[in-house]
Amino acid sequence: MKLGKRWLPAHLLVWTYAGLLIVPLYYFLASAFKSNEEIFAHPFALPSSFGFGNFRTAYDSADLGTAVVNSALVTVLALALTLLLALPAAFALARSTSRLASAMEKIFSLGFLIPTFAALFPTFLLAAATGLFHTRLFMVFFLPATAMPLSVVILVQFMRTIPREMEEAARMDGASTYTVLRHIYIPMCLPGIATVLLLNFLTFWNEYLYSLIIIGPDPEQRTVQVALPTLKAITGTDYGVLTAGTVLTLVPVWIVYTVLQKRMQQALINGAVKA
Amino acid sequence: MHSPLTRRGFLATGSGLAAATVLPGLSGCSALTGADSDPDTLVVHSQLGTTAPGSPTYLAALDRFRKENPGLKVKNLINGDDLAQVYETSRLARKEPDVVMVNLYDKTLAWTDVGATVDVKGYLDDWGLRDRVLPQALAEWTDAKGRVRAFPYFATNWPIAFNRALLDRAGVEQIPTTGDELIAAARKLRAKGIAPVTVGGNDWTGQKLLAQIIQTFLTEDEARHAYTTGDFGSRGAREGIEYFVTLRDAGVFADKAQGLTSDTMTTQFNTQAAAIESAMSSALAKVPEKVARHTEVGGWPLTGGAVHDKPTILRTYTLIGFWISPNGTKKIDAVEKFLRFMYRPDTVSRFIKESGRDMALRSDTLSTDFPLVAAAQRLGSTVSQALLPDVYVPPAAAQPLITATSTSFTRGTSAAKVRAALETAYRSA
Repeated sequence: MKLGKRWLPAHLLVWTYAGLLIVPLYYFLASAFKSNEEIFAHPFALPSSFGFGNFRTAYDSADLGTAVVNSALVTVLALALTLLLALPAAFALARSTSRLASAMEKIFSLGFLIPTFAALFPTFLLAAATGLFHTRLFMVFFLPATAMPLSVVILVQFMRTIPREMEEAARMDGASTYTVLRHIYIPMCLPGIATVLLLNFLTFWNEYLYSLIIIGPDPEQRTVQVALPTLKAITGTDYGVLTAGTVLTLVPVWIVYTVLQKRMQQALINGAVKA
Repeated sequence: MHSPLTRRGFLATGSGLAAATVLPGLSGCSALTGADSDPDTLVVHSQLGTTAPGSPTYLAALDRFRKENPGLKVKNLINGDDLAQVYETSRLARKEPDVVMVNLYDKTLAWTDVGATVDVKGYLDDWGLRDRVLPQALAEWTDAKGRVRAFPYFATNWPIAFNRALLDRAGVEQIPTTGDELIAAARKLRAKGIAPVTVGGNDWTGQKLLAQIIQTFLTEDEARHAYTTGDFGSRGAREGIEYFVTLRDAGVFADKAQGLTSDTMTTQFNTQAAAIESAMSSALAKVPEKVARHTEVGGWPLTGGAVHDKPTILRTYTLIGFWISPNGTKKIDAVEKFLRFMYRPDTVSRFIKESGRDMALRSDTLSTDFPLVAAAQRLGSTVSQALLPDVYVPPAAAQPLITATSTSFTRGTSAAKVRAALETAYRSA
């Protein structure tokens, strides 16, 4: 296929943009194999060696294996709890036409207005009062609470696109409310569920402030976001090791993002066909 | 239409998920809760343990302590720069660790006053450890009410490191000892494309060097007054700021110093992009051997009218101490065992020999594997000592002062504006 000259500016812009995205990625990956001296003196040069010393040091020093397991545990359980709570809530709100439901939906939306820092102290007090301070369990309960506004709002919108006739037909076949949710709404909302899972996964995995305060610094319990900063020392940071550690902790995020993104696209197509 | 997920099934699934959520969480919960309340487990909260200087030695020492005390478990909690914040919230929840290893600076200055940690004076005497501590260290860790805030441990020398090879290449024959010599050396170095004095003008390294230069014209008492009250209006303080501005505008500091950090500073020096830095012991220990062998340490050059008779260095004994928490007092026997072990001469020697750390405790050991650290230890009376302001700056002013540092290192900022920035840091605190 021959491209006309009028496409040239567009190509230039696209390739420039792609280049702009690749440069920091290259710098990030290359730095993981370098020493501080190499990073600062020749930031964009290729590493002199592709040894995994920095990765080993980062993994051992910050106990990243345990930290990744902790993050995975907290994230997966919090995601499960989020869906368990958000799906029925969204289902009820989407189906109801009452004023109360409308008010409840608005209340969920108000959750977006609460700044993260404003909730820190009350959350800390709650953790202390419940005896769940310095536990991952509190975060498993807390993270879904923060994710409910976004999850419910997204899922409600998806569920409203489902024709009521589908439910009516199922009802005539004797389906219960739970059957309708399980066999009609959930399968047809897979694009929304995948979206909610993806967005919340990124938020839960990257959460730092609350994990730092609530879970604390115990290497057996802390998450990757709390473990990583311990590679930074006030009296001189080894940026090669820090970058290598960051790369290691990004691998699970990359895998999940890739998988869920594909699922989301597939679900979008399937959903469109069903609708 | 029959649903495989009945109401009962739905509830069972939900309960299963909840149980799956709770059980692993609870097992983790019991790990720390148990450690907090278990009299046989000592919980230590430290900045050592990953890549901070001295970490391998500390971890090895912990292992040895565990072997020597098989009945006593030690749990090591690790934080970086955020340790103070994490400890404070732990204390609020009454789940704080028993011993905290951190320096006396910023937030920690208020800990003894508010009961976050206890006065260790009695323990120091009862356990017979007072004689192990250098008198200067004990003085720095003692507050105005005579309370000893923590068991002193790490100290640091903060000399000026001069790359002799780069100075030679630029035609600078002698290590500069006066402001004029330093300015002349800076010109020659710049002519050869070498940055003269590298400094983290955007962080604490810049703040310390600025304080050191201002003290060229301040006695110790005057410096203490200035840094306690934020009053930089005295004649000495104004002259000190003028001296700093003169040096800065003459190009003594590396380009864009106001944006540099401690990391860029050490890297510029270690890669020989810069010839001079104000480096604390832990940074000196990390200077590569090929640079270290032609590096000399000394003091900051003075100028006419200075109150010091020799170039100045900074020195502090407040780098890391062992603070005892209220929880720690409930396990005081375990704390005693731990501190006796950490104060033991062989343990102290290992930190000096293996990690090149300066200690606040008596020891004859020298950091022979770290020649620059050893050279700084030997500087003795060839240099004069400026006051490290950390203990005197009110906690709320510590961060604003660092912000003011960046303004001060910006070329063209007048002495009056530097003084205003410093004083504003106190007023806004």
